[in-house]
Amino acid sequence: MLAILDTAVVSGLRGELVRVEVDVAPGLPGCQIVGLPDASLSEARERVRSAIRNAGFAYPLSRITVNLAPADRRKHGAAYDVAIAVGILLASEQIRASGGPWALLGELSLDGGVMPVTGVLPMVATLRDAGHRRVCVPMRNREEASLVADVEVVGAEGLDDVARLVAGPRGRLAATARRRAPIRVSGDQPAPTGAADRISPGDQGRGLSGDAGSWTELADVRGQQHARWALEVALAGRHNLLLLGSPGAGKTLLARATPGLLPPLTESEARDVAIIRSVAGLEQAAGDRLSRPFLAPHHTTSYAALVGGGPALRPGLVTQAHHGILFLDELAEFDRDVLDALRQPLEDGSVEIARAHGAVRYPARLQLIAAMNPCRCGWYGDPVRACRCPVREPQRYMRRVSGPLLDRIDLRVVMPRLDATELVGAAHPEPSASVAARIRQAWERALARGGGRPNGLLRGRRLLEACALDETARATLAEVAEGLELTARSVHRVMRVARTIADLRDLGAVGSTEILAAASLRDHSLETGPAA
Amino acid sequence: MIGRTPTGEREAWVGLASTPGVGDVTFERLLATWGDAPTALEAVANMSPARADEELAGTLGLRRRTGLAAAIRVAAADPGRPERAMLALGGWVLTPLDSAWPVSLHDLEEPPPVIFGLGSPASLVVPRLVAVVGTRHPTGLGRSLATRVGARLAQAGVTVVSGLAVGIDGAAHLAALEAGGESVAVVGGGLDEPGPAMHRRLARQLTAHGSVISEQPPGIRPTAGTFPRRNRIVSALARATIVVEAPARSGALITARHALEQGRLLLVAPGRPLDPTVAGNLALLRESPARPLVGLDEMLADLGLDDQVPGPRAPGTVLSGATALRTLAGPEHAVAQALSLGPQTVDGLVHASGQPPGVVAAALTLLQLRGWAKVLGALQLPAGPLLDTPARAPRAAGGAADGRGGSGQRRMAS
Repeated sequence: MLAILDTAVVSGLRGELVRVEVDVAPGLPGCQIVGLPDASLSEARERVRSAIRNAGFAYPLSRITVNLAPADRRKHGAAYDVAIAVGILLASEQIRASGGPWALLGELSLDGGVMPVTGVLPMVATLRDAGHRRVCVPMRNREEASLVADVEVVGAEGLDDVARLVAGPRGRLAATARRRAPIRVSGDQPAPTGAADRISPGDQGRGLSGDAGSWTELADVRGQQHARWALEVALAGRHNLLLLGSPGAGKTLLARATPGLLPPLTESEARDVAIIRSVAGLEQAAGDRLSRPFLAPHHTTSYAALVGGGPALRPGLVTQAHHGILFLDELAEFDRDVLDALRQPLEDGSVEIARAHGAVRYPARLQLIAAMNPCRCGWYGDPVRACRCPVREPQRYMRRVSGPLLDRIDLRVVMPRLDATELVGAAHPEPSASVAARIRQAWERALARGGGRPNGLLRGRRLLEACALDETARATLAEVAEGLELTARSVHRVMRVARTIADLRDLGAVGSTEILAAASLRDHSLETGPAA
Repeated sequence: MIGRTPTGEREAWVGLASTPGVGDVTFERLLATWGDAPTALEAVANMSPARADEELAGTLGLRRRTGLAAAIRVAAADPGRPERAMLALGGWVLTPLDSAWPVSLHDLEEPPPVIFGLGSPASLVVPRLVAVVGTRHPTGLGRSLATRVGARLAQAGVTVVSGLAVGIDGAAHLAALEAGGESVAVVGGGLDEPGPAMHRRLARQLTAHGSVISEQPPGIRPTAGTFPRRNRIVSALARATIVVEAPARSGALITARHALEQGRLLLVAPGRPLDPTVAGNLALLRESPARPLVGLDEMLADLGLDDQVPGPRAPGTVLSGATALRTLAGPEHAVAQALSLGPQTVDGLVHASGQPPGVVAAALTLLQLRGWAKVLGALQLPAGPLLDTPARAPRAAGGAADGRGGSGQRRMAS
C-alpha cells in the first residue's frame, strides 16, 4: 500500500513543503529512501526501524520505498523521521488514518521518542500556508510552533502518540502498540537532544537578554559619566560604538548594561527574531519574546560561526543579532577575516552565504558594540601606568581593525581607568530604567521621522533632511570639519550622531551644540595617530 | 663651515674622526701620537697592510681591532667624503677647529671630535638651552608633563634639547615647536636617517626650527652603544637637564649622570613612591644633588629664567590665559577653567565643571577648535593660552608628578 504525508524542510529562513511517499510492497525485505537524501538522511532508515519496533509496532518484512518530493531538492536532517515512520505504519496497515489530515515534524530516537528539531517555526508557517490546519511537532518544540497563528499544534512525546493522533479515536492500532521501556544503565535522565539544545556561541548572550538579573544595572556602574553618555547616544540612534580603554576601565561592564536599556522589539521584529532563533536551534522563551538579542561571542569565534554556514546553511551570529546587539569584546583579538565579514551586515543589514549547493541571504541588521584595549599590554595612553609595548606597537595594534570596519563605527569613546576614590566616592549614578526611558523616546522620535530608519542608518540626502541644519549650525559644522581635519565620511558620522543627540534633547533641528558634542565622540588617536 | 686652520688639516680631521671604529678615545690617541690629523692619516696609510692592526694597537696602546687600520687607510684616500655626504644632505659639519663649535662641549671629558648637523648650527650656541629627557614608554601624565615643560620652556625663550626618541623626547620636542620655540635633537646614528622612522616628520620640523645633530657621519646606523654616548652631548649642550619620567634602567638616567658630572643643574620630576615608572626619578632625588621639579614657575626660577622675558606665544594665540578665559561664558568657561588646572579625563572635567557629559563634550570640541585643548589617549590637555593661566584658586597640593604649583606655594617656599 502507499501512504502519503506532508512535512517540511528549512531553506534559509523559509520553510519548504516536502511530501513523503511510503510504499510497502511484497519483495525482498529492505528500505530504500529516494529523492536526493544526503548522508544524514540515510541514517533515518536505521532510526525509523528501531523506533517502530520499540514503540510497540512491527517493522514490516517487505520492500519499503520512501520518496521525498520534490525530488530535485537535496534533503538534509532528521525532521522527516516521524513522517517516514508513520508512513510505514500506514502503508503496512498497522494503523488507519481516520484522524483527518496532519502534517508531521520530528526526529526519532531508537526507543520511539520524538526529539526536537530546528526551524520548527518557519516549517509550521509553511505548512499552514500550504493549507494545513493541524501540525504535530515534538513536545519540546510545541511552544515555539504555537507562535504560528491559525494552526492547531500538538506536541508528541513518542511515536505511539503520533500514531494515536493520526489514527484518531476510531482508528485501529495494532494490539501490541505499547512503547517498550528501555533498560537505563545510567539512570533516568532525559536523553540528550539534537540541535535544538546544542550550545552555540550565541548562547552566551541568551542568558543576558533572557534573565533580568544578568545584565548590568547602570546604577551600579561608578563614574564613567562620559562613556555612559556615549552608550546612551549609541543606543538611542543605533550607532555602532567602539569603547577604547585600559583593562579595568569597565568597558565590558558598561556594554553589558545594554540589554536593560534597549527598547523592546516590535511585533514584526519579534517574529523575525523568533524565526531566526528557531532555525538557529536556539530556545524560544515566551517571557523574553520582545527583548532584543544581545550576543557576546568570544574572540576565538570562527568566520562560519559569525556569518553562518555549515551543510544546512545555518544562520550565524550576525543573523542571530538581527534587530539587536552584537557585542565584540577585545575587538582587535578577533581574526581579521572574521572582522571583515562584519562589513556587509553593517552596510546592507544582511549577509549572504554562498556554498556550492546553494546560497541564502539572511537578515543581519545588527548594532555593533565593540570594546578593545588601546594596545597589546593595554596601558597606552593611561595617565599613570606606562605602556610596555614595543615602539609603534600601539599603532600596529589599532591597525588590526581595518579602516573600512572603523568607518562603519560612528561613535568612539576612550574610557580612562578609574582610580579608587572615583570608584568609592562617586555620586548616585542614574539607574538603567530612566536612561532606557530617554533612549526609547529618542528612538521613537528618530523612527517616526526616518520612516522606521534609525539615525545610525541615515545616509546621503536622508541625513541632510533629517538634520535640518540652519545657517549657524552649518557654519559650525564647516568649522569643525576644517579645524579637526575631518574626512567627508567623518563629517557624516558627526551629523548622524548630532541628530541623535538632538533627539535625546527633543530638538527638531540639529544645532551647533549638538554638532560640537558629536564631534568629541570620535577617537582622535584613530584618525591622526599620537604625535610623539 | 669655515675653519681658521688650513683646509687640508680640517678635511683630514673630519675624515679621520668619521672613520668607522674611530671614536673620541681613538681619535684622541691618534692625534696625541702623530700631532695632527693629516700626519696620522698618512702614517697609518703607510703601515704594512699585513701587520697594520697590530702595529696601530701597539702604537696607540689600545686593544687590537681588526680592520681599523684598513678603515683609516680608506679614509686617508678620500678624507673629504664624509663632509661632502653631509653637505649633500643639506647639512653641515663642525669640528673644534671651527669658531662655531659650541663651547659647552668643552666641558666633556671625551668631547666628540666632530659633529654633523642639519638645520641651524647657531641653535647649539644660544645661551638658553635646556635638556628634557625621559623614557620611551611614558605614562599619559608623563607625556603630558613633557609637553607642558617643553611648551613652557619654549615660551620662556629656551631651546629644548633632547634625543628625538619616541616618548618623552618626542613630546618635549614637539611641544617646544608647537609653542613657537626652537629645539635641538641629538641622535645616535647618521643624519641620512635621523631618529626613529616615526619621527621623520618631527626631524624635518626640527631642521627648520632648530637643528638635528649627531657625532656619527651619514650612513652609520645607531647601535646600542651610540645611544648612551649621544646622551653626554645632550647634557653638555644644555645648561640644565630635566628628567620627566624614568624607570630604573632608563637612558635618561645616563643623561642625568652626565649632567651632574658636567656640573649642570639637574631637575627631576618627583613621582609617587614605589611607582616603577618613576623609579629612576625617585632614585635621583634620593641619591643625587638633583632638585625636585615641583611646578613650571618654580622650574623657571630654578633655571634662573623667571625674569618674565616674554617668549614666543604659540602660533595663532595672542591671548594670555586670563584673557582667554574671559572670552568664554557659561559651560565653556567652566570647562576651560577646569582644564586650565591641568590635564584631566573627560569625567574629571564633568566632575570639576559640574556640567553634564554632553555639554562638556561640546565645550571640549570648541576648545580643541580654538587650539586651547588637545587630546592624548584618555586625557584632555590644556593648550595654547590655557597653558599659562596661573591657577588663581587655592588648590591642595597634589597630582604628584604633574602638580602645577600655584603661586601661593612659591611664596611659602621663599
